[in-house]
Amino acid sequence: METADASPLNILVCVKFVPDPNQLQADANGRPDLARAPFRISTFDENAIEAALQLSARHGGRVYGASIVTGQMPPRDVLLRALAMGLEALYLIKDETALAADPYRLAAALAAATRAILFAEKIPSWDLLICGEASADQYNAQVGPRLAVALDLPAIPYATRLEVRHGRVVANRAVDGRSETLETNLPALVTVGTEINQARMPTVLQVMGAGRKPIRDIPLAELPGFDAQTLGQRPSLRTIDVSAPPSARKRVTIEGKNAAELAAQLLSRLRADGEVKF
Amino acid sequence: MDGASILIFSESSDALVELLTVGRALCTPAGGRVTAAAIGQTATALAEHCLARGADEALVLQTTAESFPGAEELVFGLREVVRAADPDTILIGATRIGADVVARLAQALEVPCASDCMTLCRDRDGNLEVERRIYGGRFTARQVLTGRPRIASLQPNRYPKAEPVQKPHGSIRQLAVKLPPPRVRTEVSSPRARSAVDVTKAEVIVAAGRGVKKVEDLALLDALAGALGGVLAGSRPLTGDVDWLPTDRRIGLSGQTVKPNLYIACGISGQIEHIVGMKGARTVVAINNDPKAPIHAEADYTIVGDLYEIVPAFLEACERAKRA
Repeated sequence: METADASPLNILVCVKFVPDPNQLQADANGRPDLARAPFRISTFDENAIEAALQLSARHGGRVYGASIVTGQMPPRDVLLRALAMGLEALYLIKDETALAADPYRLAAALAAATRAILFAEKIPSWDLLICGEASADQYNAQVGPRLAVALDLPAIPYATRLEVRHGRVVANRAVDGRSETLETNLPALVTVGTEINQARMPTVLQVMGAGRKPIRDIPLAELPGFDAQTLGQRPSLRTIDVSAPPSARKRVTIEGKNAAELAAQLLSRLRADGEVKF
Repeated sequence: MDGASILIFSESSDALVELLTVGRALCTPAGGRVTAAAIGQTATALAEHCLARGADEALVLQTTAESFPGAEELVFGLREVVRAADPDTILIGATRIGADVVARLAQALEVPCASDCMTLCRDRDGNLEVERRIYGGRFTARQVLTGRPRIASLQPNRYPKAEPVQKPHGSIRQLAVKLPPPRVRTEVSSPRARSAVDVTKAEVIVAAGRGVKKVEDLALLDALAGALGGVLAGSRPLTGDVDWLPTDRRIGLSGQTVKPNLYIACGISGQIEHIVGMKGARTVVAINNDPKAPIHAEADYTIVGDLYEIVPAFLEACERAKRA
């Protein structure tokens, strides 16, 4: 068996904090009521942090988090949760003018952030960048591949298993009907989904204890190499409206005293609708 | 605006001819042309497939490599195609490979792009106005994409496929471009076991989610699917986190988009990932013991209860009705 090499890894995980889509309600106008939805770490980003921590446990090294915060600041307990999972430090790039509102600008901001964090932490280079394959709120699934292009890194999206061997990353994935094993030299970027692991759940005590870990704020405009003005003039993807689609569903709750009654009720409804022909 | 110039690309021929339909619709009424990009070992065949269905031109980048080019090489090739065709709009099929390709291409061209669009049309300024599902499919965003080229990816299996035309008029233009050696090397690539059934063509789908506790329990849902003349499918946890069902039976954003007449979701919570794939069903039944599960809001008929009690009872009711 090939032995894992011992050189420690510096890993940066891109993390997005999002209003939990499963708890997001529409307000009276049918718009998402963002103020009332609890925040969370975007689902796949939890898997990204976990994947980084597992590699770090095996090879040594450090795992950092970077997040572009546009608009509302995520609550502190959610930030601490990311740290409590095991991040060394969390960098928040504050985008108060919502410049980085589309994946194109977000990737540009993250690219600049990767360099700024290296400098701040006195790390020569990243070995691996890990992103969730898509965010739970916007689900563009663009930022990971875009960041790889922006930094000219080889990328393996959709990894379901990750291993680092002798300066290379080896990943399994299943895409469009094929199972693949891919490999590339470090430094590289990978994106992950839920398949890769079960993300750890820090305890309340761990979350409280994470208060000692550093959360560092950098205003977006102060990122070295980030040209906000030029980027601001580039073409954009602009959201003009967000609304809850009118539900065409009947939303009938079938009532009954027991399973047999419920089943009979359901069947008679489906027959009445013509969906069941017997 | 005058004559639109639209470039379409997908590594999947099915998705490509859907893009042909959408591209054609974006041309009217001002006219315009739809050019198909075909890259890889089967590029020429793919190009001919499109021309037979009315594409105005096909740009072909034929490769001899045994394996399909990776996203990075495809993007390299597509940049050459974009240089040659100078399109104002690029449409790409949002397969998983396509989603990777579209993001990289847009970054390389330094423009934004809109992923997984459900609808798209031109606004008065010729920009693309798209609708996408966000926040777990619970909301729809209307977005405007500016710039040139405007790049959008479209969910496959959503639009009619372009039909063969009487008199194909388009021609093939070969591009002599050598793709760079891949930085990401493929060590193993094998087709995954394919299901005998195509869930996208099923009229009835019984879908299993995390509420199914053991792989053996799928037999129960399969029996229900059989009784209803349908097929068994699953959500991402059952087709990825565990390998209980083949991935071509995964319903959702990273799997299949389906439009059956009847969709019975059993033990599925109803995450974004899933809802997007089954939203087109005519009638939806949700069976879930969690009254707060988001799937209930996406269903016509909801049963809050244990699928291990409800499904056998419903199967029995169906069989009794069939005998009667």
